[in-house]
Amino acid sequence: MRRTYLGEFEELVLLMIAILDGHAYGVTVSQEIEQHTGRIVTFGAIHNTLIRLEEKGFVTSELGGATAERGGRRKRLFKITGLGKSALADIQELRNKLWKLMPDATLKLSGI
Amino acid sequence: MLLRCLHPENTIEEVEGDLDELYVDSFQRIGKTKALLRYLLNVFTVLPPFVRRRAGKTKYEQPFSLSPDMLKNYFKIAWRNIVRQKAYSILNIAGLSIGMACSILILLWVQNELSYDRFHARADQLFRLTCNAGDFKTAVSAAGMSKGLQAQLPQIKGGVRISKPISLLFEVGEKKVEEKRVFYADSNFLEVFSFPLLAGNVATALKDPGSILITETTAEKYYGTRDVVGKTIRINNKDNFTIAGVLANTPSNSHLQFDAIIPMKTMASWDWDLKNDTWGNFNFYTYLELDTKTAESVPAQHKLEQQIGKIFTDHGETVKLDFQLQPLTAIHLHSNLQIDLPGHGNIQYVNIFFIVAIFILAVACINFMNLATARSERRAKEVGLRKVVGANRYQLVFQFLGESLIFSFLSLVIAIGIVYLLLPVFKMLTEKTLAFDLLDGKLMLSLIGIAVLTGLLSGSYPALFLSGFAPVKVLKGKLRVAGGNLLFRNTLVVMQFVVAIVLLVGTAVVYKQLDFIKKRNLGFDKSNLLYLPMNGELRGKRQALKASLAQNPLTENFSVISNLPTTLETGTTDIVWDGQTIRNQIIFPSLDVDENFVKVFKAQVLAGRGFNKSFSDDSSNYMINEKAMQIMGMNMGNAVGSSLTFDETKGTIIGVVKDFHFKSLQYSMEPLILRLNKWGGVVMVRTTAGGNEQTIKALEAINQKLNPAFPFTFGFLDKDLDNLYRSEQQMGNIFNLFACLAIFISCLGLYGLSAFMAEQRTKEIGVRKVLGATVAGVVGLLSQDFMKLILIAIVIASPIAWYSMNKWLQGFAYQTTLEWWVIALAGILATGIALLTISFQSIKAALMNPVKSLRSE
Repeated sequence: MRRTYLGEFEELVLLMIAILDGHAYGVTVSQEIEQHTGRIVTFGAIHNTLIRLEEKGFVTSELGGATAERGGRRKRLFKITGLGKSALADIQELRNKLWKLMPDATLKLSGI
Repeated sequence: MLLRCLHPENTIEEVEGDLDELYVDSFQRIGKTKALLRYLLNVFTVLPPFVRRRAGKTKYEQPFSLSPDMLKNYFKIAWRNIVRQKAYSILNIAGLSIGMACSILILLWVQNELSYDRFHARADQLFRLTCNAGDFKTAVSAAGMSKGLQAQLPQIKGGVRISKPISLLFEVGEKKVEEKRVFYADSNFLEVFSFPLLAGNVATALKDPGSILITETTAEKYYGTRDVVGKTIRINNKDNFTIAGVLANTPSNSHLQFDAIIPMKTMASWDWDLKNDTWGNFNFYTYLELDTKTAESVPAQHKLEQQIGKIFTDHGETVKLDFQLQPLTAIHLHSNLQIDLPGHGNIQYVNIFFIVAIFILAVACINFMNLATARSERRAKEVGLRKVVGANRYQLVFQFLGESLIFSFLSLVIAIGIVYLLLPVFKMLTEKTLAFDLLDGKLMLSLIGIAVLTGLLSGSYPALFLSGFAPVKVLKGKLRVAGGNLLFRNTLVVMQFVVAIVLLVGTAVVYKQLDFIKKRNLGFDKSNLLYLPMNGELRGKRQALKASLAQNPLTENFSVISNLPTTLETGTTDIVWDGQTIRNQIIFPSLDVDENFVKVFKAQVLAGRGFNKSFSDDSSNYMINEKAMQIMGMNMGNAVGSSLTFDETKGTIIGVVKDFHFKSLQYSMEPLILRLNKWGGVVMVRTTAGGNEQTIKALEAINQKLNPAFPFTFGFLDKDLDNLYRSEQQMGNIFNLFACLAIFISCLGLYGLSAFMAEQRTKEIGVRKVLGATVAGVVGLLSQDFMKLILIAIVIASPIAWYSMNKWLQGFAYQTTLEWWVIALAGILATGIALLTISFQSIKAALMNPVKSLRSE
């Protein structure tokens, strides 16, 4: 089955959008990533990923919610789509399956 | 700023906001320098070539042409336009709604005509057995054929015989009425046909010879209630019939129209044909039910027809006949048979009217298109501006279509109102029961269909034409009405007038033909002929009747004949004359007349003499008409005195009478044999002019004296004759009505156009007047253009009208001539009306003070 490939960073951003549940936009996503992973990512990377995810149909977006702290500019809020959710679920399932296939020894070794 | 210049336009707002927010956030957490550094880095990453562009949407989002907002806008603009240009809107809506109302009425009529006999469950499998001897086509067949054919031909699944309609005197209590629409029918009548029985048992209703079925209306007429099963009706003062069931009223779209049905068994007790199952006497209507396979295939039917013919010959019948199976559903519209049930339609008329309906609607649409294109210049600026602010072509097309749809739906509503208003009149005109029920889904759907079609059709040209304007040219004011536009408009006007003129010619020809038929010398004097059918006891008291008729000076001029000239339909081939070489195959109708016939009818005896009391052997003598004389190969010199054998009675020809029309003029002259009347039939009384009422009273008194048990009935022959041409008369009336309407609609359009033209040429007229043009000159100038168009229309319409009306006239054996002046008259009439219409506007324009029209410059 052909499906749209979801990169590692894309998956991360998509997860964040799902977690933020309607409050996801450039700033919150980048803050959450920084907070949870400690990675400092440039805004351009996030911006581009968001656009790419929307092109792939995993998220939808709309303009809204202008606030004073951004100089009255509107933000683009992202929401995960059904396709996005199933893509995440698929990845999760695949990971679980692969984890089960892994011999216990390997795990322990690496766990030392 | 760098960012503003380079970042893609459609995401700049959100990106800037996000960057600011991030800066504020990091400023609070990690200090100013680092925050600034990160900010710059972030900015850098959203600059090309790093930034990804948001794809898809163009610079600005154009609303979809059919989005709800746009639709709302279309309707709003359309409504404003309608309200603003009242005169224009009224012209348009009036034309469209009248056109639609006409088409709806005509289509109702057409639909009614086409729906005949289709309500029977097995309508497709039912066929009527008809036959013809040469050109003499009849709807009847013999009594024994139904049963005999069923036994031999497996394709025939069943059959039912119906007698000719008969008149019987019904008596219930005090009420005594002669019912004319009574039939005898076989017991399976209700199984074969789907006439619903409201009360009684379908299986047994027509089995018992002493029973009768009556319709609701008949039941209510006599009893005031429908609950009448088991009650008794006394018929013809002697027999009592028990009501075995109540039938629903015959649907108006059935070719069989009856008030009561009596089982065939009743008739079988006294009818010679039925007792002997004859194959030689053609007195019954036979309906056969074929199996599905034969009913579907025409070749199989032809084969069956031939088989029937063969069986008929094998049966020992010597008459040469061809048989046809006539589909039940074709009886109403495709029948031109003799001895048929009355009230048939004509497929030709259905086609003509259907085309007329479409034409009238087309004329109305053309009006709309014409006015809209003529106004296009006025709206060109609007179109230009709309384009400038970004409307695309589709939006404009939808806007104009929306406008015309609003027009057409408004017109539809008005048209429905008109139809409701006119329906009673139209029903009277067509003598039909037409139902117009808006709640009927199919009707509603077709009405909406008509409206949408009209809207789209009439809106299409303006929509496509107007939306094509180039905004720059339009707004500069450079747009002149293109030549193509003008040509198109002119073509439309010509088309309108072609339709109008053809309809006018049609009306004129139909009336001319009717007039011709009415005025044609029938060979006898039809005016002031009163008739009294001899029914009840009158027949037995023939001598007493004759004596009392002769006593009264008002009624002394009388004759007793067997059939009225309107009802004479039977005939025989069983004729032998002197010098005959082969057996006669031509049908000779016969009429039994008495000694007074020639005098009363004012017929002309060409040779020999009429019947006379002083010749005792006249009872076996014959008179013939000229046509019969020709067929027998005789001439004036030798006909009288020749012997003639009619129905195995040998006699001598004593006279030749000049041909007179004893049938509808749709049939050409047929041979006729006159015999001396020995039994009765109808008393014809020649009244004196103006003495009709007294004569009727005298006849009534005689009837009262001799025939007290039967109500008095009488009629006028000339009225009956006129009734023969009823469907033509109807057609004439309807044609007349719609021709007038078509012209009216065309004139509405012309009025609008001329108003517009006059308005456009205001300045030109002003200049001309200043330079010395007269009012008449200006009016001529304005009318000239339209006159040309109408002349072209006349040229095109003439051959069409001539051809189609000639075709129609061919249906008559005796036809009026279609002279050129009829067409010329129609043309002149159309021209006159058009001129009158234009003159309103052109005179107004011509009388205008040039100062006013020129002042603005």
